[in-house]
Amino acid sequence: MNTATGAPDPQTIVQAADLSRRYGEGEAAVDALAGVSVGFPGGRFAAIMGPSGSGKSTLMHILAGLDRPTSGVVRVGGVDLTDLSDQDLTQLRRDRIGFIFQTFNLLPVLDARENILLPLSIAGKKPDGEWFDLLIDTVGIRDRLSHRPAEMSGGQQQRVAVARALISRPTVVFADEPSGNLDSKASNDVLELLRHAVDDFGQTVVMVTHDAHAASFADRLLVLADGRIVHDGDAVTSEQALDLMKSVG
Amino acid sequence: MLPLVLRGFMQRKVRVVLTAIAIALGVALMAGTYILTDTINKSFASIFSVANRGNDVVISPTQNLGRETRSQTSPITDQMLAKVRATPGVSEAAGSIFTPGTFLDVHGKRLTNGGAPAFVASESPKRFESFKPVQGHLPLGPDEVAIDEQTAKRHTLKLGQQMIVAGSAPAKRYTIVGITRFGGGESFGGAGAAILTPTEAQRVVGLPGHFDQIEVAAESNPAHPVSANELRGRIRAALPATVDVRTGAQQAAKDTSDLESNLGFLRTFLLVFAYVALVVGAFIIFNTFSITVAQRTREFGLLRTLGASRRQIMQSVVYEGLLLGVVGAVLGLLGGLVLAPALNELFKAFGAELPHNGTVVETRTIVVSLLVGTVVTLLAGLPPALRATRVPPLAAMREGVEIPPRVLSARGLIVRLAIVLVIAVLLAALIGGSVAVSVVFAALWVGRLSARYRRGARPRRYRVVPALARGIGALVSWRGITGQLARENSIRQPGRTIITAAALTVGLALVAFVAVLADGTKATINQAVSRSFAGNLIVENSQSGNNEQGIPAVVAPALRRVPGVAGVAPIAFTEGRLKGSSSNVRITAIEPSTFGQVYRVEWKKGSNATLLGLGKDGTILTKSYADSKHLKVGQTISVLTPTDKHIALTVRGIASDNARLLGDLTITLPLAREAFGQRDDALNFVAYSQGASNAQVQPAVNRLLAASFPQTRSRTAAQFKQDQASQINTLLALIYVLLALSVIVSLFGIVNTLILSIYERTRELGMLRAIGTSRRQIRQMIRYESVITALIGGVFGLVIGVVGALLVTTLALSDSGYVQSIPVGTLAILLVVAALAGLLAAQLPARRAARLDMLQALASE
Repeated sequence: MNTATGAPDPQTIVQAADLSRRYGEGEAAVDALAGVSVGFPGGRFAAIMGPSGSGKSTLMHILAGLDRPTSGVVRVGGVDLTDLSDQDLTQLRRDRIGFIFQTFNLLPVLDARENILLPLSIAGKKPDGEWFDLLIDTVGIRDRLSHRPAEMSGGQQQRVAVARALISRPTVVFADEPSGNLDSKASNDVLELLRHAVDDFGQTVVMVTHDAHAASFADRLLVLADGRIVHDGDAVTSEQALDLMKSVG
Repeated sequence: MLPLVLRGFMQRKVRVVLTAIAIALGVALMAGTYILTDTINKSFASIFSVANRGNDVVISPTQNLGRETRSQTSPITDQMLAKVRATPGVSEAAGSIFTPGTFLDVHGKRLTNGGAPAFVASESPKRFESFKPVQGHLPLGPDEVAIDEQTAKRHTLKLGQQMIVAGSAPAKRYTIVGITRFGGGESFGGAGAAILTPTEAQRVVGLPGHFDQIEVAAESNPAHPVSANELRGRIRAALPATVDVRTGAQQAAKDTSDLESNLGFLRTFLLVFAYVALVVGAFIIFNTFSITVAQRTREFGLLRTLGASRRQIMQSVVYEGLLLGVVGAVLGLLGGLVLAPALNELFKAFGAELPHNGTVVETRTIVVSLLVGTVVTLLAGLPPALRATRVPPLAAMREGVEIPPRVLSARGLIVRLAIVLVIAVLLAALIGGSVAVSVVFAALWVGRLSARYRRGARPRRYRVVPALARGIGALVSWRGITGQLARENSIRQPGRTIITAAALTVGLALVAFVAVLADGTKATINQAVSRSFAGNLIVENSQSGNNEQGIPAVVAPALRRVPGVAGVAPIAFTEGRLKGSSSNVRITAIEPSTFGQVYRVEWKKGSNATLLGLGKDGTILTKSYADSKHLKVGQTISVLTPTDKHIALTVRGIASDNARLLGDLTITLPLAREAFGQRDDALNFVAYSQGASNAQVQPAVNRLLAASFPQTRSRTAAQFKQDQASQINTLLALIYVLLALSVIVSLFGIVNTLILSIYERTRELGMLRAIGTSRRQIRQMIRYESVITALIGGVFGLVIGVVGALLVTTLALSDSGYVQSIPVGTLAILLVVAALAGLLAAQLPARRAARLDMLQALASE
C-alpha cells in the first residue's frame, strides 16, 4: 500500500480535496459533484444531507473508494486513493472501512454471529473474543446470535449490521441511510448505537441521510445541493436540520 | 469463503440437485460404459482361462492378416497332429473343432441363445474337455450330440430328443445324448455349443482331416520333467510357420486381448454418447452459473465492500462449481452402476448378447468418472466465475447495477478467441467423431451388400451460431396476453434462452443428422440394388447381419437343379493384404461364367468379357481403390492371402460399384477357394428361366433350402431392401435411445433456467397476479415460454443436423454414389417431440410460479 505523503492534518481521517464527478458525456453530462473539499476528523459523527440528486451518495461512494472521482483527491487515513489498484482498495476496505446499508445487506444463508464475523473471515483474521462480546452486548443481540436474517426484525438486522461494521475496528464507518428502512423506534435504537460507538469507542462515522431526525444525532451537519457543500456546521436539532433542508430544497 | 459456499450450497438443494443431474447423467453413461465393458472383458477372460485350463501348449492357425481374419482353411492337419504327438515330452495331444454353426429344432426353427453366436465343437479327451456333461454323456457316435445347458433350458431340450445341426455340409439330425456346462456356467459365455464326435464335427464344418486347434499336455513323468514353455519351444521347432504355438496361459491371454480389442468399438461407441451428454451438461452448468451470478450481483457487491478481493469472489464461485462437480460425478458414478446392466439389457433388446458376470468396477472407472465430471463442471463454471469478479462493490448499494463489460486488450481478445476456437474444434471433433463412429457401427451391423460404408463419413466441423432467436420467437406467436408475455419473456434475455436452447440443439442436431444419414443410406441401398441386381432371388444366411457364417458352397449346385432356375451365381467375400501395405483389402470372389447374368457391373475399363477372361491370376479393381493406389489395367500386384500364400494378380478391369458388392479387389471363386481358403459362399444370386414366375420358383427354392440348408433363406430384391432398411432402423433406434439421454439432460437445463428466471421475476409475477392474472394463466405463460425455448432449440437442431448431414454426405460420400434423402416425416415428429419436451420441462416451474403467494411476491425485493 502507498504510504501517506504530506497528509495535511493527522487528525483528519478522511480528506477530500476539490472532488468533482461527472456522469455521461457531452450534452447529457451531469455533474454529481462540482468541487467538493471536506475533511472528517477522527472520533466524530458527521451527517451528510441533501435533497435527491444533490450528490450526497456520490460523495460517500467516492470517499469510501467505491467510485472514483473525475478529478480531485481522496485520502483515507492518510492514504491517497487516486491510484490504488483494485487489490489495494480491497485491502483498504478490509483494514479501514466499515459499511452500514439502508437495506441491511446481511447474507441470508448465514446466522447473526457469522454475519458479524464475515469481514474477519474474508480477511482471514481471528476474531477478538472480548471485542465481539462487547459489541453484541452493545447492540443487544446476544440472544439472536444463531438466528438467520429471515428470522429477525428489521431493527435487529440493522443492529447486526452495525456490529458487522464495527467488528474489524475500522478507521471510518460509512452509513448509507441506516435508518431509512426502519420504524421510528428501531431507527432511534440504531442511531443511538452509532452515537454510542463514536462516544464510547472513539469511532469515526460518516452518515448519509435525508432524514432530519437522523441528522440530529450527529456532531456535525453537511448539506449538499447540486454537487456543492452549501452548509457545514455543528450539531443541530431535527427542526433546524429540516429548515436547512427546506432552504436548499 | 469455503464455509460460506457450503452454507449456500446446503440451502439451495433443489437447484443443486437439478444442476448436478445435468452432469451426473453424462458421467453415469461414461461409468456405465466402463463397468459394462470391463465386466464383459473380465467374463471372457475367465471363459478363456477355463477353456485353456487343461492345455500346456496350444497350436492354432497364424492370423497373418490380423486378428479380424481367420483363415478359413486351417493348416492344422492329421499329419501335424501326428508330428506333435511324436515330439518328446508330449503325453497327450488332440485336435479340436470350434466353428460357428447353426442349430435348429426338428421343425426347422433356429435354437438361438438371444443374440449370442452358436458353435459346432468336437468332443475332446477328458483332460482337454472344458464342457462337462451334467446329464447323459458326450457324443460317442456320428448321430449323437451334446448341447449346452443354456440352449437346452431355453428351448426345453431333453435327452433323447432330436435336433438339427447345420454347417458347411447339408443339415443333419442328431439325437441329444448329453447336456453340458462350461466351467461354472451353463454355457460358453452365453454362446450355444453343440458337441459332436471329432470326425462328425470335421464333416459338418467341412474340414475333413483338419482341425481348428491342437491341444497338448506335457509329460508328467517326474523323472523327465518338462515345463510348458520348454515343450512349446520343442513343438514350435517341429511345425511350419503357418501355425502359432503358445502355452495354455499365453493362449488364454491372447484370446482375451483379441476379444478386448474386438469389443473396443463398443466402448468407444458408448463413450461418444457419454461425451455428447457431458457437453450438453456443460452448457447447462454454464447457463445456471451465469444466471445465479447475475442474480447474486448484490451479494458479490456486498462481499466486496466487506473486503473480499476479486480472487475471493472467483474462488467462491469456483468452489461452488467444484462442489457441484463432485456431487454430480459421485451421483453419476452411482448411476453408472445402475446403468451398466441397463445398457446390457439395451444391447440384448437389439440382439447383441454378451456375457457379463458380476459387476467389475475398476479403479480407472472411479477415477476417470470423478475426474471428468468434476473437471467439466469446473470448466463450465469458470466463465461465470470470472464474470462475478467484475461485480463492483457499488452493487451492494444500488439496485440494478450491471456487471461492466470487460475491456479487452488485443492480447486478451486473442486469448479469448483462441479459447473459443479450441472449444469449437473440440466440439466439432466430438460431433464428427460420434458421427464417424455411428457410421462405422452401422457398417458393422448392416454388414451386407450395399451397406459397406466402412470409411464413409469424415468428421466435419460446423458451428452452432444461434443468432436469430428473436426471429424464431416472433414466428412462434400465440393469441392472448399470456402467449405474448411468454414470447417477450423468452427474448428478454436472448443469451440465456439461446444457451438453454443450445443444450437441446446439440442432442437434436445429432438425432437429425443420424436420421438423415440413415434415410440416405436406405435410399442408396434401394437405388443400388435396383440398378445393379439383375437376378430374381438372393440366397443368404438367415441369421441377420451374420455374413461371417455365409452359406455352404454346396447350396449353389443344389439350387441349379430347382425347376425354373436358369442360373445361380455364387459370391464369396475374403480379405488379403497388398505387399508393402499394412491394411487389409476387401476381396469379392465371383464365378465369371454366371456373375454377368445376375449383376450389372458399371465398367470403367473392361466389359463383361473381362469377367470371362479373369482367370486365376486376374483381378478387377473398384475405381476408388484403383485411384487411391494409382493402379492401371495391366499392372501386377502381389497379395498375401489368409492362408499365407503370396499370389500375383494382374489388373484386368476397373469398375464402379455403388452397391459395394465388389470389394477393393474382385477375383474368381476358384482362386478364393484355393489360395484364400474361403470354402463358403456369402450370397447366391439366382436368375429364373424365361417365363418362370416368382410365385412358382421361390416356393420351390424355399422347400429345398428348408429341407437341406435350414440356415439359409431366399429373398427377392424387394425383401432384401426391406431387410436392409429394418437393420438400419434397428441401429437407428439404438442411437436414438442413447441420444435421448442428452435430450433428457437438456430438459433439466430448461427446468433449471425456468425456475431461476421465475425466482428472478417473483415481483413481476406477484404484480400480474395482483392485477387479476389467474394461476392458470401464469402456468400457461411459463409453459409457452418453455415450449418457445424448446422449439428454438429444436429448429436449430434440425437445421444444423440436416445441413450437417447433407454437407458431410456431399463432401465425403458423393463419389461413392450416396443418394441424399431427407426424412421429412421423422423431422416433423422430432419437432413435435421437442415441443412436448418443453411442455414436460415446464411442469414443475409452472406449478411453482402459480403457487407464489401474491403478497409475499410483492414484498420481496
